[in-house]
Amino acid sequence: MRTVKLTGQIVALAAVAGLLGLLVWRLTHQSTPPKIGGPAPAFSSKRVDTGGTLDLASLRGKPVVLNFWASWCGPCKGEAKTLEQAWRQYKSQGVMFIGVDYHDVTGDARRFLAHHDITYPTVQDGSGMIADRYGVSAVPETYFIDRQGRLVGEHIKGTVAHQKDAFLRGVKAALGS
Amino acid sequence: MILRGVAVLAAALVLAGPAAACVNPRTSLNALEGEIMCPTCHTTLDQSDSAAAHRIEVFIQHRIDACATESQIKADLVANFGAGILAAPPRKGFDLLAWWLPLGGVILGAVAVAFGVWRWSRARGPDEPPPASGLDAETERRLDELLARLD
Repeated sequence: MRTVKLTGQIVALAAVAGLLGLLVWRLTHQSTPPKIGGPAPAFSSKRVDTGGTLDLASLRGKPVVLNFWASWCGPCKGEAKTLEQAWRQYKSQGVMFIGVDYHDVTGDARRFLAHHDITYPTVQDGSGMIADRYGVSAVPETYFIDRQGRLVGEHIKGTVAHQKDAFLRGVKAALGS
Repeated sequence: MILRGVAVLAAALVLAGPAAACVNPRTSLNALEGEIMCPTCHTTLDQSDSAAAHRIEVFIQHRIDACATESQIKADLVANFGAGILAAPPRKGFDLLAWWLPLGGVILGAVAVAFGVWRWSRARGPDEPPPASGLDAETERRLDELLARLD
Protein backbone atom coordinates (compact mmCIF):
# COMPACT_ATOMS: atom_id res chain seq x y z
CA MET A 1 0.00 0.00 0.00
CA ARG A 2 2.92 2.33 0.83
CA THR A 3 4.42 1.77 -2.61
CA VAL A 4 1.13 2.71 -4.28
CA LYS A 5 0.90 5.87 -2.17
CA LEU A 6 4.49 6.84 -2.97
CA THR A 7 3.97 6.21 -6.69
CA GLY A 8 0.84 8.38 -6.61
CA GLN A 9 2.74 11.18 -4.89
CA ILE A 10 5.59 10.97 -7.43
CA VAL A 11 3.14 11.05 -10.36
CA ALA A 12 1.31 14.06 -8.88
CA LEU A 13 4.60 15.85 -8.25
CA ALA A 14 5.79 15.13 -11.82
CA ALA A 15 2.50 16.48 -13.22
CA VAL A 16 2.81 19.70 -11.20
CA ALA A 17 6.49 20.08 -12.24
CA GLY A 18 5.50 19.55 -15.88
CA LEU A 19 2.77 22.20 -15.74
CA LEU A 20 5.16 24.59 -13.98
CA GLY A 21 7.74 23.96 -16.71
CA LEU A 22 5.16 24.76 -19.40
CA LEU A 23 4.25 28.00 -17.60
CA VAL A 24 7.92 29.05 -17.33
CA TRP A 25 8.53 28.18 -21.00
CA ARG A 26 5.49 30.22 -22.04
CA LEU A 27 6.57 33.21 -19.96
CA THR A 28 10.16 33.16 -21.20
CA HIS A 29 9.12 32.75 -24.85
CA GLN A 30 6.65 35.63 -24.94
CA SER A 31 7.73 38.22 -27.47
CA THR A 32 8.35 41.68 -26.10
CA PRO A 33 8.29 44.66 -28.48
CA PRO A 34 11.81 45.77 -29.41
CA LYS A 35 13.12 49.08 -28.10
CA ILE A 36 14.26 51.99 -30.23
CA GLY A 37 18.07 51.94 -30.11
CA GLY A 38 18.09 48.17 -29.63
CA PRO A 39 18.80 45.55 -32.28
CA ALA A 40 16.15 45.04 -34.94
CA PRO A 41 14.66 41.54 -34.54
CA ALA A 42 16.21 39.17 -37.08
CA PHE A 43 14.17 37.34 -39.70
CA SER A 44 14.58 35.37 -42.86
CA SER A 45 11.55 34.74 -45.02
CA LYS A 46 10.32 33.81 -48.50
CA ARG A 47 10.00 36.66 -50.95
CA VAL A 48 6.59 37.45 -52.36
CA ASP A 49 7.74 39.51 -55.35
CA THR A 50 10.21 36.93 -56.66
CA GLY A 51 11.53 33.52 -55.65
CA GLY A 52 14.08 32.92 -52.94
CA THR A 53 14.37 34.25 -49.43
CA LEU A 54 15.52 37.48 -47.85
CA ASP A 55 17.54 37.57 -44.64
CA LEU A 56 17.56 40.87 -42.75
CA ALA A 57 21.12 40.12 -41.63
CA SER A 58 22.25 40.28 -45.26
CA LEU A 59 21.31 43.98 -45.29
CA ARG A 60 23.67 44.89 -42.44
CA GLY A 61 25.56 48.02 -43.44
CA LYS A 62 22.53 49.49 -45.22
CA PRO A 63 19.79 51.71 -43.78
CA VAL A 64 16.46 49.84 -43.95
CA VAL A 65 12.84 51.00 -44.03
CA LEU A 66 10.66 48.08 -42.93
CA ASN A 67 6.98 48.39 -43.80
CA PHE A 68 4.35 45.91 -42.55
CA TRP A 69 1.31 45.76 -44.80
CA ALA A 70 -1.43 43.50 -46.19
CA SER A 71 -3.49 43.49 -49.37
CA TRP A 72 -6.75 43.46 -47.33
CA CYS A 73 -5.68 46.60 -45.42
CA GLY A 74 -7.31 49.80 -46.67
CA PRO A 75 -4.73 52.31 -45.35
CA CYS A 76 -1.94 50.19 -46.90
CA LYS A 77 -3.37 50.99 -50.34
CA GLY A 78 -3.27 54.67 -49.45
CA GLU A 79 0.42 54.65 -48.54
CA ALA A 80 1.68 52.33 -51.31
CA LYS A 81 2.37 55.16 -53.75
CA THR A 82 4.18 57.27 -51.12
CA LEU A 83 6.42 54.35 -50.17
CA GLU A 84 7.28 53.51 -53.77
CA GLN A 85 8.11 57.16 -54.51
CA ALA A 86 10.30 57.34 -51.38
CA TRP A 87 12.07 54.10 -52.37
CA ARG A 88 12.86 55.50 -55.81
CA GLN A 89 14.09 58.70 -54.18
CA TYR A 90 16.32 57.15 -51.51
CA LYS A 91 17.66 53.97 -53.11
CA SER A 92 20.52 55.94 -54.72
CA GLN A 93 21.64 56.77 -51.14
CA GLY A 94 21.77 53.07 -50.30
CA VAL A 95 18.48 52.92 -48.37
CA MET A 96 16.70 49.55 -48.66
CA PHE A 97 12.93 49.37 -48.45
CA ILE A 98 11.49 46.01 -47.37
CA GLY A 99 7.79 45.18 -47.35
CA VAL A 100 6.52 42.55 -44.92
CA ASP A 101 3.25 41.03 -46.11
CA TYR A 102 1.27 40.32 -42.93
CA HIS A 103 -1.34 37.52 -42.61
CA ASP A 104 -2.09 37.63 -46.31
CA VAL A 105 -2.90 35.30 -49.19
CA THR A 106 0.21 35.32 -51.38
CA GLY A 107 -1.79 35.59 -54.63
CA ASP A 108 -3.57 38.68 -53.31
CA ALA A 109 -0.24 40.17 -52.21
CA ARG A 110 1.26 39.70 -55.70
CA ARG A 111 -1.74 41.38 -57.30
CA PHE A 112 -1.37 44.27 -54.82
CA LEU A 113 2.32 44.68 -55.68
CA ALA A 114 1.58 44.65 -59.41
CA HIS A 115 -1.39 47.01 -59.09
CA HIS A 116 0.58 49.57 -57.05
CA ASP A 117 3.78 49.05 -59.04
CA ILE A 118 5.83 48.26 -55.95
CA THR A 119 9.40 47.48 -56.96
CA TYR A 120 11.18 47.05 -53.61
CA PRO A 121 11.52 43.54 -52.09
CA THR A 122 8.63 42.11 -50.10
CA VAL A 123 8.72 39.08 -47.81
CA GLN A 124 5.93 36.81 -46.68
CA ASP A 125 4.74 36.80 -43.07
CA GLY A 126 1.64 34.65 -43.34
CA SER A 127 1.90 33.32 -39.78
CA GLY A 128 2.62 36.79 -38.35
CA MET A 129 5.85 35.61 -36.71
CA ILE A 130 7.95 38.57 -37.94
CA ALA A 131 5.20 41.00 -36.92
CA ASP A 132 5.11 39.42 -33.43
CA ARG A 133 8.86 39.98 -33.03
CA TYR A 134 8.40 43.66 -33.84
CA GLY A 135 5.29 44.01 -31.67
CA VAL A 136 3.10 44.93 -34.64
CA SER A 137 -0.55 45.01 -33.58
CA ALA A 138 -2.12 46.32 -36.78
CA VAL A 139 -1.03 47.23 -40.29
CA PRO A 140 0.38 49.42 -41.68
CA GLU A 141 3.39 49.96 -39.41
CA THR A 142 6.83 51.17 -40.45
CA TYR A 143 10.20 50.76 -38.72
CA PHE A 144 13.60 52.27 -39.48
CA ILE A 145 16.86 50.35 -39.07
CA ASP A 146 20.33 51.92 -39.23
CA ARG A 147 23.51 50.51 -40.79
CA GLN A 148 24.41 48.76 -37.51
CA GLY A 149 21.09 46.91 -37.48
CA ARG A 150 19.54 49.01 -34.69
CA LEU A 151 16.00 50.36 -34.64
CA VAL A 152 16.08 54.14 -34.94
CA GLY A 153 13.66 57.04 -35.23
CA GLU A 154 10.10 56.50 -34.11
CA HIS A 155 8.16 53.65 -35.59
CA ILE A 156 5.10 54.81 -37.48
CA LYS A 157 1.71 53.31 -36.67
CA GLY A 158 -0.74 53.93 -39.48
CA THR A 159 -0.14 55.23 -42.95
CA VAL A 160 3.09 57.08 -43.71
CA ALA A 161 1.19 59.16 -46.28
CA HIS A 162 -0.33 61.08 -43.34
CA GLN A 163 2.89 61.21 -41.28
CA LYS A 164 5.42 62.37 -43.84
CA ASP A 165 7.50 64.38 -41.36
CA ALA A 166 7.91 61.41 -39.02
CA PHE A 167 8.73 59.27 -42.06
CA LEU A 168 11.46 61.67 -43.24
CA ARG A 169 12.91 61.84 -39.71
CA GLY A 170 12.97 58.05 -39.64
CA VAL A 171 14.75 57.75 -42.99
CA LYS A 172 17.32 60.38 -41.90
CA ALA A 173 17.89 58.56 -38.60
CA ALA A 174 18.45 55.32 -40.53
CA LEU A 175 20.88 57.12 -42.83
CA GLY A 176 22.65 58.49 -39.75
CA SER A 177 22.30 62.08 -40.90
CA MET B 1 -21.20 49.30 -77.94
CA ILE B 2 -20.72 45.90 -79.54
CA LEU B 3 -17.07 45.87 -78.46
CA ARG B 4 -18.09 46.66 -74.89
CA GLY B 5 -20.60 43.79 -74.91
CA VAL B 6 -17.97 41.38 -76.19
CA ALA B 7 -15.54 42.51 -73.48
CA VAL B 8 -18.13 41.96 -70.72
CA LEU B 9 -18.98 38.53 -72.15
CA ALA B 10 -15.29 37.58 -72.29
CA ALA B 11 -14.77 38.70 -68.70
CA ALA B 12 -17.82 36.71 -67.58
CA LEU B 13 -16.53 33.62 -69.35
CA VAL B 14 -13.09 34.00 -67.77
CA LEU B 15 -14.63 34.43 -64.31
CA ALA B 16 -17.06 31.57 -64.82
CA GLY B 17 -14.28 29.29 -66.06
CA PRO B 18 -13.00 27.94 -62.75
CA ALA B 19 -16.55 27.43 -61.37
CA ALA B 20 -17.63 25.58 -64.46
CA ALA B 21 -14.55 23.37 -64.18
CA CYS B 22 -15.95 21.79 -61.01
CA VAL B 23 -19.42 20.32 -61.43
CA ASN B 24 -19.40 18.47 -58.10
CA PRO B 25 -17.50 20.50 -55.48
CA ARG B 26 -15.80 18.25 -52.91
CA THR B 27 -16.42 20.52 -49.96
CA SER B 28 -18.15 23.80 -49.12
CA LEU B 29 -17.26 27.12 -47.56
CA ASN B 30 -19.80 26.44 -44.78
CA ALA B 31 -18.04 23.19 -43.90
CA LEU B 32 -14.65 24.87 -43.70
CA GLU B 33 -15.50 28.18 -42.06
CA GLY B 34 -15.69 26.66 -38.58
CA GLU B 35 -12.36 24.87 -38.98
CA ILE B 36 -10.23 27.78 -40.16
CA MET B 37 -9.06 30.62 -37.96
CA CYS B 38 -8.98 34.29 -38.83
CA PRO B 39 -5.29 35.11 -38.16
CA THR B 40 -5.90 38.70 -37.12
CA CYS B 41 -8.90 38.22 -34.81
CA HIS B 42 -8.20 34.70 -33.43
CA THR B 43 -11.73 33.42 -33.98
CA THR B 44 -12.96 31.01 -36.62
CA LEU B 45 -13.90 32.50 -40.00
CA ASP B 46 -17.63 32.02 -39.39
CA GLN B 47 -17.39 34.29 -36.33
CA SER B 48 -15.23 36.94 -37.94
CA ASP B 49 -16.13 39.94 -40.02
CA SER B 50 -12.59 41.19 -40.57
CA ALA B 51 -11.07 42.03 -43.94
CA ALA B 52 -8.42 39.32 -43.54
CA ALA B 53 -11.10 36.69 -42.84
CA HIS B 54 -13.06 37.81 -45.88
CA ARG B 55 -9.98 37.45 -48.13
CA ILE B 56 -9.35 33.95 -46.79
CA GLU B 57 -13.00 33.03 -47.49
CA VAL B 58 -12.59 34.26 -51.07
CA PHE B 59 -9.41 32.18 -51.40
CA ILE B 60 -11.21 29.08 -50.05
CA GLN B 61 -14.14 29.61 -52.43
CA HIS B 62 -11.76 29.84 -55.39
CA ARG B 63 -10.12 26.57 -54.35
CA ILE B 64 -13.54 24.92 -53.92
CA ASP B 65 -14.47 26.14 -57.41
CA ALA B 66 -11.29 24.52 -58.67
CA CYS B 67 -12.48 21.17 -57.20
CA ALA B 68 -9.89 21.11 -54.40
CA THR B 69 -10.60 18.77 -51.51
CA GLU B 70 -10.87 19.89 -47.88
CA SER B 71 -7.42 18.51 -47.08
CA GLN B 72 -5.88 20.20 -50.13
CA ILE B 73 -7.37 23.55 -49.15
CA LYS B 74 -6.16 23.14 -45.58
CA ALA B 75 -2.67 22.25 -46.82
CA ASP B 76 -2.64 25.39 -49.00
CA LEU B 77 -3.69 27.53 -46.05
CA VAL B 78 -1.07 25.98 -43.75
CA ALA B 79 1.60 26.60 -46.40
CA ASN B 80 0.53 30.25 -46.57
CA PHE B 81 -0.32 31.06 -42.94
CA GLY B 82 1.31 28.33 -40.86
CA ALA B 83 -0.34 25.62 -38.75
CA GLY B 84 -2.00 28.24 -36.53
CA ILE B 85 -4.60 28.82 -39.28
CA LEU B 86 -6.28 25.52 -38.36
CA ALA B 87 -8.81 25.69 -35.52
CA ALA B 88 -7.86 22.18 -34.39
CA PRO B 89 -4.43 20.54 -34.66
CA PRO B 90 -4.03 17.78 -37.28
CA ARG B 91 -4.64 14.21 -36.02
CA LYS B 92 -1.19 12.96 -36.91
CA GLY B 93 2.41 13.07 -35.71
CA PHE B 94 3.26 15.16 -32.67
CA ASP B 95 -0.05 17.08 -32.95
CA LEU B 96 -1.87 13.85 -32.07
CA LEU B 97 -0.77 14.48 -28.48
CA ALA B 98 -3.13 17.47 -28.31
CA TRP B 99 -6.03 15.04 -28.88
CA TRP B 100 -4.88 12.21 -26.60
CA LEU B 101 -3.46 14.14 -23.63
CA PRO B 102 -6.80 15.58 -22.41
CA LEU B 103 -8.44 12.14 -22.74
CA GLY B 104 -5.50 10.58 -20.85
CA GLY B 105 -5.87 13.25 -18.16
CA VAL B 106 -9.59 12.52 -17.74
CA ILE B 107 -8.97 8.75 -17.51
CA LEU B 108 -6.12 9.25 -15.03
CA GLY B 109 -8.28 11.59 -12.93
CA ALA B 110 -11.18 9.08 -12.92
CA VAL B 111 -8.82 6.28 -11.85
CA ALA B 112 -7.38 8.49 -9.07
CA VAL B 113 -10.87 9.41 -7.79
CA ALA B 114 -12.02 5.75 -7.91
CA PHE B 115 -8.90 4.65 -6.05
CA GLY B 116 -9.38 7.37 -3.42
CA VAL B 117 -13.03 6.37 -2.86
CA TRP B 118 -12.07 2.71 -2.58
CA ARG B 119 -9.35 3.48 -0.01
CA TRP B 120 -11.63 5.77 1.98
CA SER B 121 -14.41 3.15 2.16
CA ARG B 122 -11.96 0.44 3.25
CA ALA B 123 -10.32 2.61 5.94
CA ARG B 124 -13.71 3.56 7.41
CA GLY B 125 -15.00 -0.02 7.74
CA PRO B 126 -18.64 -1.12 7.74
CA ASP B 127 -19.38 -1.35 11.55
CA GLU B 128 -17.35 1.51 12.82
CA PRO B 129 -19.16 3.40 15.65
CA PRO B 130 -20.01 7.01 14.97
CA PRO B 131 -17.33 9.45 16.11
CA ALA B 132 -17.52 10.59 19.77
CA SER B 133 -18.74 14.12 20.44
CA GLY B 134 -15.61 14.94 22.44
CA LEU B 135 -17.69 16.18 25.42
CA ASP B 136 -17.31 14.77 28.91
CA ALA B 137 -20.19 12.91 30.55
CA GLU B 138 -21.25 15.81 32.79
CA THR B 139 -21.42 18.32 29.88
CA GLU B 140 -23.37 15.83 27.77
CA ARG B 141 -25.87 15.30 30.63
CA ARG B 142 -26.36 19.06 30.99
CA LEU B 143 -26.75 19.51 27.23
CA ASP B 144 -29.43 16.75 27.16
CA GLU B 145 -31.25 18.50 30.02
CA LEU B 146 -31.18 21.82 28.16
CA LEU B 147 -32.45 20.24 24.95
CA ALA B 148 -35.22 18.45 26.91
CA ARG B 149 -36.28 21.76 28.44
CA LEU B 150 -36.41 23.36 24.99
CA ASP B 151 -38.71 20.60 23.79
